[in-house]
Amino acid sequence: MTLTPAWSGAFDRGSLQEVVGLPIEHVREWAFAGATGAGIRVAIVDSGIDAEHPRVGGIAGGVAFELDPSAELGYVEREGPHEDLVGHGTACAAIIRGLAPETEIYSVRVLGANLKGRGALLHAGVEWSVERGMHVANLSLSSKSDAMFAPLHEVADQAYFAGTVLVCAANNLPGPTYPSQYASVVSVAARPGDEEMTLAYNAHPPVEFGARGIDVDVAWADRGSITATGNSFAAPHVSAMVALMRSKHPWLTPLQVKAVLQAASINSLAG
Amino acid sequence: MTLAPDVDPALGRCVEATRALFGAAACSIALVDEDGGTLEFVASDGVGSQEIVGVTIPVSRGIAGWAAMSGQPIAVRDVQSDARFARDVAESTHYVPDAIYAAPMLDAQGEVLGVASVLDPTVDETSDWTLHVLGTIAGLMALVTTATATPSGPAAQPLAGLGGDILRLVESWRAEQSGGSE
Repeated sequence: MTLTPAWSGAFDRGSLQEVVGLPIEHVREWAFAGATGAGIRVAIVDSGIDAEHPRVGGIAGGVAFELDPSAELGYVEREGPHEDLVGHGTACAAIIRGLAPETEIYSVRVLGANLKGRGALLHAGVEWSVERGMHVANLSLSSKSDAMFAPLHEVADQAYFAGTVLVCAANNLPGPTYPSQYASVVSVAARPGDEEMTLAYNAHPPVEFGARGIDVDVAWADRGSITATGNSFAAPHVSAMVALMRSKHPWLTPLQVKAVLQAASINSLAG
Repeated sequence: MTLAPDVDPALGRCVEATRALFGAAACSIALVDEDGGTLEFVASDGVGSQEIVGVTIPVSRGIAGWAAMSGQPIAVRDVQSDARFARDVAESTHYVPDAIYAAPMLDAQGEVLGVASVLDPTVDETSDWTLHVLGTIAGLMALVTTATATPSGPAAQPLAGLGGDILRLVESWRAEQSGGSE
């Protein structure tokens, strides 16, 4: 058991440790320049998305997983439009839309008006994302349930080999959280700064990447916006970067995506 | 400091200490009900504490609900400009804050027991360090909550004084800080 997960503090306390990235020239330009996210499917596994929010500008589809004790798995799956119950998913979707405007965004609602069964619904949402061929799944949420360690690990591995990049917010809580703890995902914490496309690589994983997440102007429910801080808002910045690079270079696998992200980090030296 | 009936005083000491640590206008704890659908404020210290204790909100309301649902600590500034902010709840306490920090309280199985909220902290940074601190404290609060929920349990006694210990540490730290600046 990991007692001290890498806090996002690794990104905000003075100097970043330099790391050696792949020797790719002009990697940021190669990965992102001119990209729009066109042709890339991004799932927002969260509280739903307000598709009519002006900063979201419509979504391609959605599914909601809801608890139902009478169902075989304890929950039911409802395809189709749904609202965002709190604004969390809308915030994530708007960040991605702002950076990768032509992505196809799918709302995968696993958070409901009840806190029971969060882990099982999270698992169902990730599984749906893999089965539907999402190129990226943004998970600005996590589970600390030991019972969910193995099931989430298994579906995270499936995602990795199927080509769905799971971008997971780390958590500012003591102890491990899932699935951000797994090596098969891209784990993200917040770092200071206003640069939307700036990344930092953590030389001391498991939290591997730092992205903008402090005092971010984000969309929220009721067509509003707020200024918020949290790893929840750092992850969508990286999801957008993954969508951009995969729209330019569709052959990139999750393995390669992570290597490019590391090479594109501000503290990465050419190897 | 205000407590709901049948709530262990240790939780009251926790909110006192946390409010002092953050130099905040108020700090409160809301616990999830058995059905998982609502949050009830059971302990609070600072402005509006008498009014907020006993108030129940759906888990999908406000910043506290946001932290409970996502399982992620969150800080929000300028909440007054936000339409979805639980303004009616805040106004009922006669205090509408500018900033709210909220962190989930998780038990050993990872279930959300409640949310710890801090209103208008004066300790602030342009980093998420303060969220780390609140997230860690919320974990300790969950420990106290779990122990006091079964007061006859073997874990209750050693933890009963935890809130008091935190408060003494904070007071000692603040005394050092003010002494050093004079």
